[in-house]
Amino acid sequence: MKRLIELSINGERHELAVEPQTTLIEVLREQLGLTGTKEACGTGECGSCTVLIDGKPILSCLTLAMDCCEQHIVTIEGIAEGDQLTSVQQAFLDCGAIQCGFCTPGMVLSITALLERNSRPSETDIKKALEGHLCRCTGYNKIMEAVKKAAEHMAAKDS
Amino acid sequence: MTSKNPETHKLDYVGKRIPRKDGPDKVTGRAKYTVDIQLPGMLVGSILRSPYPHARILNIDTSRARRLKGVKAVITSEDTLGMKYAFVDTPRYPPDEYALAKHRVRFIGEPVAAVAATDPYILGEALGLIRVDYEPLEAVFDPEEAMQLGASEIHPSHPKVKEPFPNIAGKTESEWGDIEHGFAHSDYVREDRFESHLRTHGYLEPQATVASYEPGGKLNVWTSSQGTFLKRSKLAPILGLPLSAVRVHKAYVGGAFGGKVDLFSHEFCAALLSMKIGRPVKIEASREEIFTAYRHGEPLIAEIKTGVKKDGTLVAQKFRIINNCGAYRGTGVVVIFLAWGYMMIPYRVPNLKYEGFSVYTNNPPRTAQRGHGCPQIRFAVESQLDMIAEELGLDPVEIRLKNARRQGEQLPNGDNVHNCGLKECIQKSAQHTQFLEKYGKSRPASSSNARLHRGIGMGVSAYITGSLIYPNSSAAIVKMNDDGTATLLTGALDIGQGAETILCQIVAEELKIPMEEIQVIAADTETTPTDLGSWISGNAYVTGNATRIAATEVRKKLLDMAAEEMEANIADLVLENKGVYVAGSPERRLSYQQLITSSIQKRRGDPIIGEGHWRNVRDVPFHPSLATTKGRWSDSYAFDAQVAEVEVDVETGQARLVRAVTAHDCGFPINPLLVEGQIDGQVSMALGHAFLEDVMMKEGRTLNPNWLEYRMPTIHNMAFSEYIDVITESYKKDAPYRTKEVGEGYVSGILAAIANAIYDAVGVRLHSTPFTPEKILRGLGKIK
Repeated sequence: MKRLIELSINGERHELAVEPQTTLIEVLREQLGLTGTKEACGTGECGSCTVLIDGKPILSCLTLAMDCCEQHIVTIEGIAEGDQLTSVQQAFLDCGAIQCGFCTPGMVLSITALLERNSRPSETDIKKALEGHLCRCTGYNKIMEAVKKAAEHMAAKDS
Repeated sequence: MTSKNPETHKLDYVGKRIPRKDGPDKVTGRAKYTVDIQLPGMLVGSILRSPYPHARILNIDTSRARRLKGVKAVITSEDTLGMKYAFVDTPRYPPDEYALAKHRVRFIGEPVAAVAATDPYILGEALGLIRVDYEPLEAVFDPEEAMQLGASEIHPSHPKVKEPFPNIAGKTESEWGDIEHGFAHSDYVREDRFESHLRTHGYLEPQATVASYEPGGKLNVWTSSQGTFLKRSKLAPILGLPLSAVRVHKAYVGGAFGGKVDLFSHEFCAALLSMKIGRPVKIEASREEIFTAYRHGEPLIAEIKTGVKKDGTLVAQKFRIINNCGAYRGTGVVVIFLAWGYMMIPYRVPNLKYEGFSVYTNNPPRTAQRGHGCPQIRFAVESQLDMIAEELGLDPVEIRLKNARRQGEQLPNGDNVHNCGLKECIQKSAQHTQFLEKYGKSRPASSSNARLHRGIGMGVSAYITGSLIYPNSSAAIVKMNDDGTATLLTGALDIGQGAETILCQIVAEELKIPMEEIQVIAADTETTPTDLGSWISGNAYVTGNATRIAATEVRKKLLDMAAEEMEANIADLVLENKGVYVAGSPERRLSYQQLITSSIQKRRGDPIIGEGHWRNVRDVPFHPSLATTKGRWSDSYAFDAQVAEVEVDVETGQARLVRAVTAHDCGFPINPLLVEGQIDGQVSMALGHAFLEDVMMKEGRTLNPNWLEYRMPTIHNMAFSEYIDVITESYKKDAPYRTKEVGEGYVSGILAAIANAIYDAVGVRLHSTPFTPEKILRGLGKIK
């Protein structure tokens, strides 16, 4: 039996009809056409479905849509400002940290959250932030480079 | 050995670290993969799969499923044309697969029926309502058991290779020289057996297909693949459709690594369901299905007997390879041909005998995985070579240098290695890692107390640069737009390796148009020309040259028009930023926009379009014989030497890759940033193969069908990865360049190097992957 809920996604409010077991990723991809958030496993093992909920990286494949009503959800579609990529996105691009791109949205969001709370992350901090993300293409080397570059760039902007 | 070609002009785009063209789409979430495709009225589909590894199908009753509200169609083999298909289709290896099982199932997970419904819940219920009556048959899972007389025959009434063993799906044999004479005249002979285990691709984007059949007879398909033209060629005939009625569209691909080359049942079923219902159908495999029923990498057994002179020169090698093929031939008949190749390219072997068997078992069919046999083979050959070196008192570097192929050497099949940079790869990687200073220093003395031991090892490998197999050719079209920008039409498919980007770089280089002003339209069987696809290591060489030729044709037309308009000699004209000027008089300039206008006016409406095509091994009609290996194979070969430094904990047996150095003769890199990314990814796959990954099966059933228990490398496993370029080719204007491949060849050397490094660290010689703590501790005598 579907129920009407209201979710705030990328700063917009949406009224949606969901079942109790409907996951947040299903709502995003199927109902709202926000296909940037990816489902690679559906069981919380790969990190591709990561979105930010109130600034925290959360696995949307294991989150029920109904539980998100009072929260502020941000997906990969919501972080760039028009054509202007964020520092994190630009760093991924410049450093060759993207290959097939399937893990990229989730990684970008986790790093965005990391740099929000810790502008000078150590390599250990970066590894901790990304340990829940699987990438089969890059070996993580250039992703690590990109995060460091993004952090440097943001620190330079702030100073 | 740097490029000796002074023809290398100053390059503006080729050879530069240019960020990938599809990067912005991917990093913003705009990129549409097959799983993202949504069409109006789209239904969801799923496959009902066999729970038995081997059984006769007695009856299938779909009536209750059909009656369920929301179910739009249910299909079984009776609804199909009953045509077989396969990766290889030759008189010796006729197709052996049905899209939906007919009479018999031969592996757990084999597709038996398919359903399309309005939502996933109804779909699940419908699958449960299909009743299949099976009569289980005896099953066999181990290839050496399957080869025993009396073993259960998996394809009893099927024409197959005539061998004195049952269940032979394929056989390859090759020899030259005089093997017995070779062994008789060797100073040292040894025989070893190596086994590579079952591991899998782990692509992030699931297997998925969207099929939409339009009234009027056009089938539109989006599918996660490694080549749209290859998929179309296999799909159309079994649906009874001409190629022109099937359009395979471009979709972004979330990784493949060999696991998406074969035609899959779900592709056929999505299409057939759509044709029956008249609505689009999407079938997406769950991760569990991918682990359980889809194709993993080929596990190979390699028995190698090698004879050498006491100075380390290889004299004779005899190989026997067994591939655990699974229930259908798939690519299994190709891997036993490739195994021969990957054994004989890097070193000179004057006397060689090769025998390879691909054996049917009641497991899901296996398929190519990055390197397609090369990692398994190099692990075996390079491990044995180190063992031989130790016996002879030689070091791993000198024995490799002694036997390494040299520039211009002829291979036994008639190919030439041309600009082979192998010696330089070996020397530079050894130098950079201070190999000889470190080697042999880490093995534990009996009184050693150190818990962590470091070791260093080397592995050498070589790879082809495309070959001949359908579609055999790549073509490209470059068309100019009125404003002087350009559009490239290419059938090439970007699966993450950066195909579209490097092809765009080539057009930019030839025409001096900025990358952002070249649009790339790719991988659409209707609107772009044919392409090899991204599974045969031919993108940079074959499609790259086709693109170069197309762009060159445009360049010539522009120059010709400019020469006429400006009354200048073509030799005095310079292209720059979408215009042509006279050298020395830059004010005498015409923009491309002006030249195109002139061309339309003065050349009977010619808007300036260029076409190019290329193929490998142009002087022979066909690919080499899979059965005998005879025939020309590839225009050039990529070589590499990789060094691994590992750390082994002698108390827990845990080992890890600390550092990987790849010295690679890739010809010349079209985009060094992308090349580095490919190397990093392959180092990661190799360390996964070595330490972490293992598809555990018992009697045909996958026991760990998820990422929790099939452990792929995470960021914590990341190894420090370094690259040494050995440049042996250069980009040429108006002449084919012979660059090599980088997408598949760099798993093998590192895997072999890791095995050798473990031996160097703790004196344990491993003959099988994965290199588990149990095996290492057993080798150390700490457990039984």
